[in-house]
Amino acid sequence: MPGADKETDLSERIESFLSELKRCGSGAGSLRGSAETARETTALLRRITAQARWGNAGELMEIIRKEGRRMTAAQPSETTVGNMIRRVLKIIREEYARSRGSSEETDQQESLHKLLTSGGSSEDNFRQHFTHLKANVIEAINELLTELEGTTDNISMQALEHIHSNEVIMTIGRSRTVEAFLKDAARKRKFHVIVAECAPFCQGHEMATSLCKEDIETTVIPDAAIFAVMSRVNKVIIGTQTVLANGGLRAVNGTHTLALAAKHHSTPLIVCAPMFKLSPQVPDTPYNHTKLKSVDTILYIHILSKVNAHCPVFDYVPPELITLFISNIGGNAPSYIYRLMSELYHPEDHEL
Amino acid sequence: MRFCSSPAGGGKHNSGLPVNTENEEEEEDKLVEYFRAQIRGDPDVASAVAAIRSLLEFLRRDQSETILGLRENMTQAIRRLEETDSSVAVSSGGELFLRFISLTSLEHPVRQHCTQSSCSARAQPSIASLLADLSQCKNVMIERGELFLKKISLSRGKVGKLCHTFIKDGAKILTHSSSRVVLKVLENAAADNKRFTVYVTESQPDSAGKRMAQKLRKLNIPVMVVLDAAVGYIMEKVDLVIVGAEGVVESGGVINKIGTYQMAVCSKAHNKPFYVVAESFKFVRLYPLNQQDVPDRFKYTADILKTVKDLNQEHPMIDYTPPSLITLLFTDLGVLTPSAVSDELIKLYL
Repeated sequence: MPGADKETDLSERIESFLSELKRCGSGAGSLRGSAETARETTALLRRITAQARWGNAGELMEIIRKEGRRMTAAQPSETTVGNMIRRVLKIIREEYARSRGSSEETDQQESLHKLLTSGGSSEDNFRQHFTHLKANVIEAINELLTELEGTTDNISMQALEHIHSNEVIMTIGRSRTVEAFLKDAARKRKFHVIVAECAPFCQGHEMATSLCKEDIETTVIPDAAIFAVMSRVNKVIIGTQTVLANGGLRAVNGTHTLALAAKHHSTPLIVCAPMFKLSPQVPDTPYNHTKLKSVDTILYIHILSKVNAHCPVFDYVPPELITLFISNIGGNAPSYIYRLMSELYHPEDHEL
Repeated sequence: MRFCSSPAGGGKHNSGLPVNTENEEEEEDKLVEYFRAQIRGDPDVASAVAAIRSLLEFLRRDQSETILGLRENMTQAIRRLEETDSSVAVSSGGELFLRFISLTSLEHPVRQHCTQSSCSARAQPSIASLLADLSQCKNVMIERGELFLKKISLSRGKVGKLCHTFIKDGAKILTHSSSRVVLKVLENAAADNKRFTVYVTESQPDSAGKRMAQKLRKLNIPVMVVLDAAVGYIMEKVDLVIVGAEGVVESGGVINKIGTYQMAVCSKAHNKPFYVVAESFKFVRLYPLNQQDVPDRFKYTADILKTVKDLNQEHPMIDYTPPSLITLLFTDLGVLTPSAVSDELIKLYL
């Protein structure tokens, strides 16, 4: 029966996505980079909306939440999955509100004003059925996908405003967004780039090779030399894995050191991060949420029997060390991140 | 139906200042009695909640016949309450309630009785229908007021639920004076089977810290009372600082018991996170730039304001902590950075 086929097809795709997510943590999966993960997640959510059986907005949100919980559990450090799910949930809420004809789609947040003026009908359980809701939601998700595809280009377009001739730029590790940003500026300006190699996986080396291909003068330095070289640097431009709700970052290890060195020399620290990396998590303690990588790739194997070796993957960078966030919607200060977040996600979806 | 021709809200002098008639005095005394009874009956209730409850009761009993008269009565009543309890929270609760009345009356407009001769006789609404309009408006106000009260009574619980996840196992927490919201947060964390120690400052001149320590001991939380002067000494041992607030100002800073500013400066020097927990009805429309900017009526207790001539000889009871020293604010509207607070206030008052 076609109905059952669709269901099994859908659950197969979800299962394969989940196993991809689990594998991509070890670098073996085919999902490389958060942009691709975001696109895959959104495409899968669109498929769920189209193929799953649901009668009203409430049921759809429940299904998406359930699948979302499984996806975030498969790879908790990949926050873009959770972010996309929250975006889609917000889309569903907005489309529902629009179908109902209520004009309060702009004021979904809890606020003092709402507390004072609501007349008790604020409990909206999304139970009404609308025939065009499915089409509207799918259209909105398509718009979201188009936005996702354009993010790197939108960020690179702003490169010329920030990079000037004969500047020395420092970066760390490998970020596709920063790579595109620098390459775009290199088409019109001449500048130098210093890349910190970011041991132990030394992704900085790949970044340097890739930049060299575009005729950008690149220097690779070990992480320990960051402070020493910082006095000659004009700007620090980095990418990040996640932008947290308070304006802080969860970025590759070594970034906090880089940020502190930049602060000490009063060098501006610019973070290139597309909006889908914005997550409603707040760091509960700055030193607590470490994900550790296995250390067999590190060279001191012969002493592993005698010592414990820890290799954390991510660093927390507090918002006071960051000067500017460049995202696909423009440049913003870290203190403004809470506002961007309230526009992207609904507060009830912060906890999936 | 008897139509009262005197303008409601007490007789007005030609200078424009309202003068209380005896009736109004009685009403306000009853209001103050009601307020005091609320606090006596439920010592755990926030003073702003008790103030709003009393004002709602006053609204029910009020006999004015125009919205303007109602507002004037309310403003008088709030001023009277502030004379009884000069804390920032009562002032912010009162202003919120006044705002609530304005917003509701804008949504349910009461037609005005047109006294100009240019209005045609047909267009003038009858007296009875005007009064019906007003009573309908008042009914909506009372209904919404009840709803509002119900929601804000739940705020403390919401804040507690938000904040207790930030307390990790084995944490050492420093807090200042006695705050019911901080108590709720620590209660929730203890109920979650987390082990932590609390240091409380004594908080002179009223030794409120010792009361807080007693309450914490009842919850089986290990607690130690330290001198106010020992904050710098103890700061290296603690992991985080959590304080309550009497008022949250527009800049994102807080007004709290004296000694909070000191604690914030020390925690910044030691790089420890400084968290503030407050319910949203404590947001107040003040923008102090330094300690001197905080109005005198908040700094001293109501009795001192009435009796003492030279306030420079008195010790203030509160101080102002600027937003640059605060890491995060936990409110029932969510976890906010200090810059998000002014956004909230703008949404309400604009």
